[in-house]
Amino acid sequence: MDSEITNNGGDVGKLSKDELKVYDRQIRLWGHDGQKKLSSWNVLLIGMQGLGAEIAKNLILSGVHSITLKDDTNISILDRCSQFLIPPDSEERNRAKASLANAQKLNPNVTVTADIKSIEEEEEDFVSKFDVVIATECFPAIYRKINENCRKHKVNLYIADVFGFFGYFVQDVTFEHNLYHEIFPNYDQRSNVSENRPLPYYLTSALLRFQCESNRKPVPDNCEKDIAELKSIISSFEHITNIETYDEYLGELFCEMSPTTSIIGAAVAQAAMNTIMDRTIDNFNVFFYDHVEHRGQYFKL
Amino acid sequence: MAANIVGAFKPSMQNVVKTSKILLVGAGGIGCEVLKNLVLMGFGELEVIDLDTIEISNLNRQFLFSKDSVGKPKSHTAKESVLRFNPNVNINSHYGDIMDTKYGSAFFNKFKLVINALDNKRARSHVNRMCLSCDIPLIESGTMGYSGQVEFIKKDFSLCYECSPKPVPKDYPMCTIRNTPKEPIHCIIWAKFLFSQLFGENTEELVSMEETEDETEEKLSARDWAKANNYDGQKLFKKIFYDDIDYLLNMRDLYKSKSIKPRKLDYVYLNGVKSEYAHEEESKILTLPQYISMFIDSITSIKEKLDQSKKGYLNWDKDDDDFMNFVVASTNIRSVIFGIEIKSHFNIKSMAGNIIPAIPTANAIIGGQIVIHGLRVLEGKYPRCQTVYLRGMPNHKGEIIVKDKIVQKPSPTCTTCSTEGHIVLAVNTFTFTIRQFEDLVLRQRLNIVAPDVLIDGRMIISSDEDDELDLYSKTFSEANILHGSKISVDDFLQNYRVQMLVHHKMKVSDEQPEFELFNNSDDVDKEDDFEQEEYDDECHIDGEDHKFIYVKQEESSNEEMANESDEDNFSSVEEELEETELFVDAGAVNDASETCIKITNVCSITEDNTLSIIEEQSAEVPADSQDENNEDDAKDNFEIEDDAKDNFEIEDGAKDNFEIEDDAKGDFEIEDDAKGDFEIEDDGNETNLELKRKAEDNVDTTETKKSRSSTDE
Repeated sequence: MDSEITNNGGDVGKLSKDELKVYDRQIRLWGHDGQKKLSSWNVLLIGMQGLGAEIAKNLILSGVHSITLKDDTNISILDRCSQFLIPPDSEERNRAKASLANAQKLNPNVTVTADIKSIEEEEEDFVSKFDVVIATECFPAIYRKINENCRKHKVNLYIADVFGFFGYFVQDVTFEHNLYHEIFPNYDQRSNVSENRPLPYYLTSALLRFQCESNRKPVPDNCEKDIAELKSIISSFEHITNIETYDEYLGELFCEMSPTTSIIGAAVAQAAMNTIMDRTIDNFNVFFYDHVEHRGQYFKL
Repeated sequence: MAANIVGAFKPSMQNVVKTSKILLVGAGGIGCEVLKNLVLMGFGELEVIDLDTIEISNLNRQFLFSKDSVGKPKSHTAKESVLRFNPNVNINSHYGDIMDTKYGSAFFNKFKLVINALDNKRARSHVNRMCLSCDIPLIESGTMGYSGQVEFIKKDFSLCYECSPKPVPKDYPMCTIRNTPKEPIHCIIWAKFLFSQLFGENTEELVSMEETEDETEEKLSARDWAKANNYDGQKLFKKIFYDDIDYLLNMRDLYKSKSIKPRKLDYVYLNGVKSEYAHEEESKILTLPQYISMFIDSITSIKEKLDQSKKGYLNWDKDDDDFMNFVVASTNIRSVIFGIEIKSHFNIKSMAGNIIPAIPTANAIIGGQIVIHGLRVLEGKYPRCQTVYLRGMPNHKGEIIVKDKIVQKPSPTCTTCSTEGHIVLAVNTFTFTIRQFEDLVLRQRLNIVAPDVLIDGRMIISSDEDDELDLYSKTFSEANILHGSKISVDDFLQNYRVQMLVHHKMKVSDEQPEFELFNNSDDVDKEDDFEQEEYDDECHIDGEDHKFIYVKQEESSNEEMANESDEDNFSSVEEELEETELFVDAGAVNDASETCIKITNVCSITEDNTLSIIEEQSAEVPADSQDENNEDDAKDNFEIEDDAKDNFEIEDGAKDNFEIEDDAKGDFEIEDDAKGDFEIEDDGNETNLELKRKAEDNVDTTETKKSRSSTDE
């Protein structure tokens, strides 16, 4: 892939004067070469809720070549917890379209487009048009399919979600670690989860299981019942003995809360940029942000 | 907004979020992220203050600003921007300096929580003192490159910002800058001095010689000479790079027995040269003719700016392309003369502007963690607000966001947050003046804004202008401040008090600083045995070896600090801390850095003949000496914080430190190309070296840390 800058009519492989000024502080970190690589990559971002908005913001500011905001869903009141790209009085109901103007405003050097077709309706090779796919806000079964497609076409993939103040992402860029459904095998059955995993792993497994059973994420207006349901899912895991340690987490899993969309959105965007700049952290494949412990940690699962 | 959605928060927190009034100090990289998060969470009462205006280089991360808003105040623009996604929040924005006396305790007392998103040490310690004084919880933060940190400060509960000493900027001896540059940084500092000598307000830092006009025999300063010649680029080029070098070479024995000696430029360039350079990339090394062209062109452009300037002078700014070209060209032409490595425009800008790299993602993570801490603070869960570090690369456990095990307790000897704390001030009481005490010790070092100073019940400095004490020109001994005297300093505004014990200390070696601060008298003596190898070689200029001048890349004045400036490019490491501590805002720079020189008389002065030596010296200096201008300043002593030897070690150790960073990053490869590009790290940039040196210190403690924390979990 060449590193032509289309928007500024600059020479092939050269950054325009204007870009050099805007990107100066980051070029001093990752160098001109890093910046040129960034400005040649095309990103597909699926899901434009609060987390999607953060990921889009970070990648657009940093100066990727293009980003496609893909979402077939409509704005909800819950977006107001973290979706800062959608104006409160937006007449546009589709999330991707409603985000487009403010997303583009972040950096005119990046080609930003909105795509309102569901990922489920796309052809299997759709992902191969992109250098990186970042998927958020899908059901686990969709993630599984996206992961299989990306693996097949050797497209770098990130899957990320935020539940309240808790969040995680999965990275598949070396195409040799476990696939999504292998990491979280219990999402579609009340089967057992692996032993000796960190608390955030069991929490995530329970949340995915909840999504499959209830066909939605936990929601604030049903919070008491949802907490009880999550608790029962966690209790069903064989290796869990200290269920009360989950209590603090369970009370804070609703909406996408902006501090955590901020953290996960930045961590996943930075991981993707590291991949673009050939400095992938490749010995890990899952990242959890544990808001109770203030810990952001990679694992190989 | 989250607080308006029932169930999003625990019921107890919902109202807390809606009604708690929060002050955000700084609307830069971290500030934008924090403001966004606060507004989205549904905090209803916010105030934000920033003294800066928006720059184009902010736009890669300060996402509340766009190109249209360049030049506008950050605070107001950030407010307008977030009101667009939540119009129902009450935000009061201030375009001003938090250190201004109008933001006193009445102002601070309005808030439940203060968040620092600053880029400099002075403002950080000021807010720290205000929050301690008003007993308001403070969240302190900083980022640098991929790293960052969040720290909670609460009176009597946690460490305060000043519990751990912060490094002060490094000094360079002026004789190195003027006569014997060895590193690119020496030429860069020289070039910035040259700028201020020719165009700046402050002409204390003289690097170009006086010149005689042909018609008259009168000697003109380089500035006046330039004016008399209408800032003719070619004439200035000849004067600075030929005549001034001749002058140095003609100084008797200046370069005798030294490996360093300037080599005159070829005379083919004497009348200037034309060589196109505008098309070249900023990371490329150009040719000498290109730098000469750039020098002459920059003079022409800067002259125009000078003519248009209402003030009649210009302040150097790394973001002005002409100013930057002047420094790049001057630096590299001088480097050619002294046989020093040529640096690219890109690298010289890093060093001259003290630029700290900055990316949006690190600010976003820190901005998120600040608000999570903020919620814990408002819940009263103080023990849960441990310092949190963001690492560039995962540690051996795969962590990039790591917290301290516990909230660190206040230091019992802290002069800011402990009433027990006192400072030993070691000075030569025969030469140190009251003015130096106020300017250098109280204002610069201790960040005191409005000092009242009493000695044994007698007032010697008053913050009240009506008190005409007028003791400034007196030395300590003349004002009867002697060894063992107790000085009590009070800042009414900050509600900050500190006791000082005067320790009289003669200078025993040339590079001793004008004053030193210690936590107890025992430490004073330990300092006495240090050596002075490098400097002997360095600074004995024939006939003038009792003159010794220090240069300091200094923090800027308050207004200038506006511009992302940051003298505070440091990290400090507590023994107990697990990660490198960063109090740096990403993108922070020391760009306003009015690099300033002060002159220190450094011959060993004996108690009784101090003044006579100074006079003698003046007499000895040849009338046409470059240093003549400094005579008056000779008494205007200047503190040198770290001993000189230290500076050299840092420079020489740059490579070592470089390695260390590798180690600090642990077992995880990577970084090679990132590092290759980030050449400032390798180039004696004080900031980065400082950080690395700390990283090195940190490595030692990390391992023990790890084992300790792993047993605890």
